[in-house]
Amino acid sequence: MFSESTLRRLDRLALVAQRVRAGVFKGERRSTKRGTSIEFADYRDYVRGDDLRRIDWNAYARLERPFIKLLEEEEDLAVHVLVDGSLSMGFGTGEQRKLDYACKLAAAFGYLALAAGDRLSVAVLNGETVAKRFGPARNRAFAMRLIQFLEDVPAVGDTRLNAALRDYALTGGRPGLTFLITDLFAPDGHTEGLAQLQGRGHEVVVVHVLAPEEVEPEYAGDLKLVDAETHDFQEITLDGGLRDLYHARLSDWRDEINAYCTKRGMHYVPVVTDAPWDQLVLYQLRQRGLVK
Amino acid sequence: MTFPFLTPLAFLLGLLALPILVLYMLKMRRREVSVSSVLLWQRLLRDREANAPWQKLKRNLLLILQLLLLAALMFALARPFLTVPAVARGAVIVLLDASASMSAGDVAPSRFAAAQAQVRELANGLSADGLLTVILVGRQPVVLASATRDTAAALAAVDAARPEQGAVDWEAAFALAAGAARGGTPGETTTVILSDGGLPEGLPALPGQVRFVPIGASEALGRENVGIDAFSLRATASGPELFVRVTNFGVEPQRAIVTITTGEQLVVSELVEVAPGQSASVTLDDLEDVPAAFQAQLTAPGADGGAPDAFALDDSAWAVYQPLAAGRTLVLTPGNVFLEQMLASLPGVQAFRAAPGAPLPTDPFDLYVSDSISETVAPAGAELLIVNPISTTLFTVGDVFTNTRLTRVAADDPLTRFLDWDQVSVLQARRVAVPAWARVLVDSEGGPLVFAGETGGRRVAVLTFRLQDSDLPLQLAFPVLMSNLMTYLAPAQAFSAPDGLRPGETLLIRPAGGDGAIGIDDPIGQRFQAPATEAGVLFADTDVLGLYTVVSTQRVVGQFAVNLFDAGESTITPATQLTIGQASLAATPADETGQLELWPWLAAAAFLLLLIEWYVYHRGSVPPRRVPRAGASS
Repeated sequence: MFSESTLRRLDRLALVAQRVRAGVFKGERRSTKRGTSIEFADYRDYVRGDDLRRIDWNAYARLERPFIKLLEEEEDLAVHVLVDGSLSMGFGTGEQRKLDYACKLAAAFGYLALAAGDRLSVAVLNGETVAKRFGPARNRAFAMRLIQFLEDVPAVGDTRLNAALRDYALTGGRPGLTFLITDLFAPDGHTEGLAQLQGRGHEVVVVHVLAPEEVEPEYAGDLKLVDAETHDFQEITLDGGLRDLYHARLSDWRDEINAYCTKRGMHYVPVVTDAPWDQLVLYQLRQRGLVK
Repeated sequence: MTFPFLTPLAFLLGLLALPILVLYMLKMRRREVSVSSVLLWQRLLRDREANAPWQKLKRNLLLILQLLLLAALMFALARPFLTVPAVARGAVIVLLDASASMSAGDVAPSRFAAAQAQVRELANGLSADGLLTVILVGRQPVVLASATRDTAAALAAVDAARPEQGAVDWEAAFALAAGAARGGTPGETTTVILSDGGLPEGLPALPGQVRFVPIGASEALGRENVGIDAFSLRATASGPELFVRVTNFGVEPQRAIVTITTGEQLVVSELVEVAPGQSASVTLDDLEDVPAAFQAQLTAPGADGGAPDAFALDDSAWAVYQPLAAGRTLVLTPGNVFLEQMLASLPGVQAFRAAPGAPLPTDPFDLYVSDSISETVAPAGAELLIVNPISTTLFTVGDVFTNTRLTRVAADDPLTRFLDWDQVSVLQARRVAVPAWARVLVDSEGGPLVFAGETGGRRVAVLTFRLQDSDLPLQLAFPVLMSNLMTYLAPAQAFSAPDGLRPGETLLIRPAGGDGAIGIDDPIGQRFQAPATEAGVLFADTDVLGLYTVVSTQRVVGQFAVNLFDAGESTITPATQLTIGQASLAATPADETGQLELWPWLAAAAFLLLLIEWYVYHRGSVPPRRVPRAGASS
């Protein structure tokens, strides 16, 4: 799934959560909580009961006042990668198939998490619930199993995204940095599910995956469009005018999702599968501060 | 109530709009395409109400275009028309002048094109029941369209017509027009003459109305013309003499440069000034005495050297020089004063005498005359005139007969043309078995007196009696017969056209013995071919001005020129009135009411709508080409 050079570059990266939740295990990332690592954070006045070993004796020698040296706590991060496994994700040709692309992204996020010693959970959403789970796992040793898990994800049925996200919010364990990789083609919407996740304390990153033919339809004329998931249909006469309207509507839709996510403090990353996935991880997410 | 439509029933085609609308309202056959989701499309189309039948009609450009197309076709078929002023209506006979002067370019691109446009205007203004006859007035008038309502076919024939390069036969054209007018309804036929003038006097009156539409510009360009109206070369005792005459056919003094060339070689270039109605000439007499073709060209003085006027056909002329040719003739005779004097007096004959039995001169001769000798000694293939044969290998000679009363002179033979044998008496003649290759020209009761023919590539003529045994040398028939025989046996030239020809004139070409066929190359590169006969080849396709080359199967026979040299055609000033019969006919204003049909524009609009519909239909059916992205979209 990953080339050697991509792996080497992924090794140098780590996921960043702006609102990291305290971990159960000591991890490899700094926390806003003061802890026992060797990374200096701040000073505070000594108060009775403080561990005398944490007094900065050098500062006491200079200032003749005891100060407690505050060190950053290093803790693990819970990373959740949720992959939409509905039929609509099966669209796209060749390497631009949305589900394959989503799995590669999920593997990259998962590898970053495992490499950083974070607690990784991967789930494939289908119907109203979680169809497949991986993890929780910590440690790079799970990388191969993760890849094997993601290589065998079928695109079946429909996904009630609201219900599935609600289900995951209840059963997904410790909140953390949560990547939702989906095309957002959910008949019942997605906002409630995202709100549920956020309400549970997840920091949500919505990776909105579209195939090139969904951005630029490759058909034209008098058509009966049949929905692969719902078998619902829509008759259209696709000419230049309607094609322009479609472009405008797609742009509006992305803007609406972006506005919703921004308003709720979520991250929204739109992506088209003809863009190299590793560039998305290595450059674009880095620019957005989700990877460092 | 009168509708401005010729076929208003065509509006019933409007009912076709109903099935078009019904077809649009019915579910159309659509191609099924499986997509990941129709959510966006559904949002795009708002709701299913937007697809309701009556909503479909809204903003449907294709439907609107199809209805417009139907409307355009319907109106086109209904044939709407506008009433326009016209020269004539009803049954119209058009006499379209195709004379040389109609080639003048005073009205762009030419007068003839302007006349063609007038015919088009006339045809377009013709009512639906109007009949159109178009007669192209050429050297031989041609009926381009005969009482037809199919104006498109008539106009196609008119468009294909071209002006000629000479004078035309107005009498014949008027006869055709009169016949056509009498064939139609009396009193309802209008004859329209489209011409720049130049009609001969004494043309008969035409039945029905006659209208005249003058063609040509009235300003100076349409009046002024300077042209060559004479160009010839004469053989004189001192050598060839060239003569060119330039005449001003306009009303203002003109200056022009006369340039004479032979082949690529410039002979002379001279500026001439010519007063209105006057001529100027250029004469040259120091030319080489060799056969040559010359061209005279008029150009305007100045750097550009362009045409001096709007009429180009008389700005060029050609002439051919042929030195005097004398048929070298050797007379083998013991002595015959009649024969020797006659040969000496004939033009183009240079006679030499040799005694019988003497060795023949080594120089070849065009003709050998054998008089009263026992053996023919002429070289093989040489033309031969035998008088009083004793014996010969060409035919069998018998005894003498005396019943020489005339029985027949061959009719319609060029050798007996103008020959009156009635007064000729012959004492005796030799009996000869006429060979198969010969024909008897003069026959008598006892046997042939004169016969001729061609054998073994040579021409042979035979008089079967001694001249001294007859009174032929004393009769008028003698020079006539000898002239005919000499022209037949030793023509100095295959043809004679020292002053050239006018367009349409014919030329008789006399092939020499042994010529299988005669070919004539005209100035535009076409070759005319005819089998060579003793009667000669009559060539009449002299419609194009320029140099013609005559060739036989053996050699280039010569050249001749066809020039305009017609003052009537060179006087290009457009006529303002004509005289037909006893009446004077002025230019006719467009005071009739014609019908200008609008269907061509509507048909064009329908075609345009069809193209737009095709474009609109295909605009959406070709998906845009997708360019692979370098990064994710945002």
